[in-house]
Amino acid sequence: MADVEMKDAKSKSDAKDDIATPPLSPVSEIKSNVTLIERAVSTLEPRFTIRVLRSLTALRKRLDDKALCDAISEIYPQDSQVRSSLLSWLPASPTQDESMEVDPSPSPKTPSETVPETEIYFRLLILHHLLASPSTYSEAINLANETVQKIQSLNRRSLDPIAARVWFALERAYELGGELSDARHLFLAAQRTASLRHDDETQASLINRLLRSYLHYSLYDQADKLISKTNFPTSAPNSQYARYHYYLGRIKAVQLDYTAAHTNLQQAIRRAPAPKLAPGFYQAVHKLFVVVELLMGDIPERSLFRHPVLEKALRGYFDIVKGELPVSYSVRTGSLSQFQTTLSAHAVSFESDRTYSLVARLRQNVIKTGIRRLSLSYSRISLRDICVKLHLDSEEDAEYIVGKAIRDGVIEGRIVHEKGWMECGGQKTGYGPEVSEMFSRRIGYCLELHNQSVKAMRYPLNAHRKDIVDAEGAREREKELAKGIQKGEIDEEDAMGGDF
Amino acid sequence: MSSSKLHPLYKQLLRAFTSRPSDLKTSGRLLAELKVVLIETGLIFPQTDYSTQDLVIAREILEIGAFWSIRTKAMPSFDRYFSQLQTFYNDYSSILPHSEREFPIRGLNLIRLLIQNRIADFHTTLESLPLPADELIANPFIRHPVNLERWLMEGSYSKVWNAREEAPAEEYKFFVDSLMGTIRNEIASCEEAAYESLPLKDAATLLFFRSQSEVLDFAKQRGWLIDLTRGVITFTQKGEEKLEIPKEKLIANNLAYARELEQIV
Repeated sequence: MADVEMKDAKSKSDAKDDIATPPLSPVSEIKSNVTLIERAVSTLEPRFTIRVLRSLTALRKRLDDKALCDAISEIYPQDSQVRSSLLSWLPASPTQDESMEVDPSPSPKTPSETVPETEIYFRLLILHHLLASPSTYSEAINLANETVQKIQSLNRRSLDPIAARVWFALERAYELGGELSDARHLFLAAQRTASLRHDDETQASLINRLLRSYLHYSLYDQADKLISKTNFPTSAPNSQYARYHYYLGRIKAVQLDYTAAHTNLQQAIRRAPAPKLAPGFYQAVHKLFVVVELLMGDIPERSLFRHPVLEKALRGYFDIVKGELPVSYSVRTGSLSQFQTTLSAHAVSFESDRTYSLVARLRQNVIKTGIRRLSLSYSRISLRDICVKLHLDSEEDAEYIVGKAIRDGVIEGRIVHEKGWMECGGQKTGYGPEVSEMFSRRIGYCLELHNQSVKAMRYPLNAHRKDIVDAEGAREREKELAKGIQKGEIDEEDAMGGDF
Repeated sequence: MSSSKLHPLYKQLLRAFTSRPSDLKTSGRLLAELKVVLIETGLIFPQTDYSTQDLVIAREILEIGAFWSIRTKAMPSFDRYFSQLQTFYNDYSSILPHSEREFPIRGLNLIRLLIQNRIADFHTTLESLPLPADELIANPFIRHPVNLERWLMEGSYSKVWNAREEAPAEEYKFFVDSLMGTIRNEIASCEEAAYESLPLKDAATLLFFRSQSEVLDFAKQRGWLIDLTRGVITFTQKGEEKLEIPKEKLIANNLAYARELEQIV
């Protein structure tokens, strides 16, 4: 039932799309993309391929069987093997009855000028199309496996960006098919191959696939080991980087390394696409980010919770913040119990976000933040008062807790046991080696930014030839000049003056 | 096949281990023999198909091994048994019937991580438990270590002290002594940082010692100064760190800036 409905809805939206955007039908867009890919291969410029792949998300939603069939028939000649093997993945259209024969190992000897990249691109499109409806998931898995084998046997560097996307589609196919863990050994093997071939794009994509698969099954240990054993390629595209940082942030947060988690999540947010384009990712990162920020003892900005994309998703977290605010600012009564009620009220949503245990850890942070605030506002406070203000069970507990806070460097101060109070140490002055460290970190960041932007500049091929010619000409002229001076024809002073 | 040896040996082990008081010596000998049998039959890292019954027996042998190592206080051996059991708990969870010893053993592993102060490992292990988060609190074997960890992190050491007898399984008590050792060291390091001096009597209560001589021994270990006539412990002060300008680092930084600027201009 659901299936039929979905298809109906899809065809409707397709029809609407056709009316709404007459300038570029999917078929013509695919065709122009194919020319771009061919240009990319002939000029060795991966950026054309990347441009094609950028339009994939938008194109994906408008694909249907007919558009794909038409595009394939127009690109490939009638007798091409690739054509029949591609068409075999689509539901039979009345004109192509003979193409139903599946050719499991077609040798891609295209008679015309089409490159294998084009074929893989078509396979990628078909894959995304198959993934759009649940009834074709198993087909999608088969197609993905076959495509991946093909890519590996072709071993072409110009194929890498497309290959990375194919791996993504493979993962998606396995996940929707419900057997994500079955794909893990495939990823591991491919990751080894990719790193041997210095295939950075595929490698980046595969590392993310693996991390996702590990984290999906809560295998943090394995994920951590994978990270320590692999180098994430620095040339990876932003979208992969954003994912990688997000996974890294997750792992670090579980391992209590909140500072590292915070930096990684911040990077993920910065590298993520605009919130309106990819709201899911944006929300997921922010959920974790808010929790980590709270765990570090900071309060996230209120404006974050009013962001149109985030407002709904972060509601539970906002309640936690509201619950904690009183504790950290004025240590008002009852907030710990309020924290507990919020926690149980939103347990289900935290559970599905997989942040429950992280949020539960906040409890001890509430106490720690409380002590820090107390130590800032009092120069001397009795243990009993601490006990009352923080709702601790006994003075004895308070003494231990304060002692631990002093040792962990949360506060500066000492306990005077005989008198039963805590003396808070004076604040450090703002000048010291830390300042220069801070400066050097910021300067380093600016320099890094400059260097990165220099690296990101593109130069057209062979443009430097012109400079060489120019330089040679200049040298010639100089030689003549020198000769002239030697002969005494030109006065040296004159020459100098002329130059200036 | 040597699996014919497996069953009688397993029965002997079960008898030796479940008898009261359990016969640790015989169990140890039988475990060593059984391990060889398990390796010979390939059951220790099962890769091909085995009958469910054999797998259950293999799992049970390893579980007994884990308990046995705790009773004989052999931590490295427990570690080994536990990692061998991982295969059975994680990869075979859909095939094998649930073992009632699984959660006690997982809980014991958590406590072990806690005692060795491997907090990051503790949390990753906790996160990978096959339980939804709110059931973690409901399961008595897991709740115990989770609570201990929370109190330890908060610094509520007295709660840990009071909970030491509330162990959900007999084996948990074997950890009490080492747990107390961990707590005392934690408290001691806190005291060193937080106090200038402390009366002996109060130190004893803070550290959960019953007699003064125990405090004296402990103080000697940590190198505290004791004034017996006044009955006061003085903690050696770490001298105020002098503010020193890190010259070399500054020079290196400045040189690096100069080089980068050169490149830009």
